[in-house]
Amino acid sequence: MHDLQVLDLEVFGVICTLGVTCYAMRAGGYVLAASMRDDGIAARFLRLAPGNLFIAFIVGGCLSGGPAGLVGTVVALVTMAITAREWAALGAGFGAALAASAIGW
Amino acid sequence: MTTAGFRRGLVAALPFLLSNGAAGLVMGLTYKGLGLGAAHAILFSLLVYSATAQAITLSMWASPLPIVAMVVACIATNSRYLLMGAHLRQLFGGLAPRKMLPSLFLLADASWLMTSADADRNGPDAGYLLGSSIPMAVGWVGGTALAYAAPLAANGPLRLAAALLPTMFIATLLPSQWKNVRSPWPWLISAVAALLVARFGDPSWSMLIGGGCGTLVSMMEPSDA
Repeated sequence: MHDLQVLDLEVFGVICTLGVTCYAMRAGGYVLAASMRDDGIAARFLRLAPGNLFIAFIVGGCLSGGPAGLVGTVVALVTMAITAREWAALGAGFGAALAASAIGW
Repeated sequence: MTTAGFRRGLVAALPFLLSNGAAGLVMGLTYKGLGLGAAHAILFSLLVYSATAQAITLSMWASPLPIVAMVVACIATNSRYLLMGAHLRQLFGGLAPRKMLPSLFLLADASWLMTSADADRNGPDAGYLLGSSIPMAVGWVGGTALAYAAPLAANGPLRLAAALLPTMFIATLLPSQWKNVRSPWPWLISAVAALLVARFGDPSWSMLIGGGCGTLVSMMEPSDA
């Protein structure tokens, strides 16, 4: 019983430490950026970053999702470009990915 | 930070209840298989709230627990949040830190990407960040809890939804970003660099390195692209 309590406390301590670490990473950039100039190189980098990060995120996701993921993502993107409706794009994309997965892609 | 922005973000992120719920369920089932109790598993998903960090620390689980290595792994896998946080400061720098810092507890890749896209369309609104973060967090933590509460198995469609919906959702944001693009080169470089990192390196770095390479190319252009 005593060993179990020690183990529980150890696991609890590890979870709290990892939680604090993750929050420090989330809040750290926001806090540190206070000292950044608005017209500096770093500020311009951050302004230009989102679109490029979107693309990189999608490429990584498609690669880990395999052919079915690629088909679903392309169908979602094309549907969104045509309809401008997120629900239609996600429905079509997920349906296409499921179909591709069902036929063994 | 407006109520309208909060509501807009909350509604827009509702699909993440499904995808994060499925992913959280898969994570919960893995914790269950490891012998972790329900309270610890839920606390893990609530406090750490990072699929990458949780998956990596899960793979390091041993007795005694390698706490230093786990912390280093968390810092390495979550360093992208430094960039996201710095970008959010540009958007919401006028807000008092006491209003922004609690919202950052729920910061995730998808909520940041959605907030960036919404800022382009409707102007910066920290309410949107908070609103879009909530369905994601509820899905993730709720899914983890569901793994202990219900006799469920991570089957095909569930795994597929968990794996693909975030990517598909971000893909739906691309058309709104395209109008700001002056040249296809930055996006092409981002895609190729991300592909190379994901294929030959560590996939968890593909977004940061790929996006960083593309952004450097954007910076070489005469006007913001």
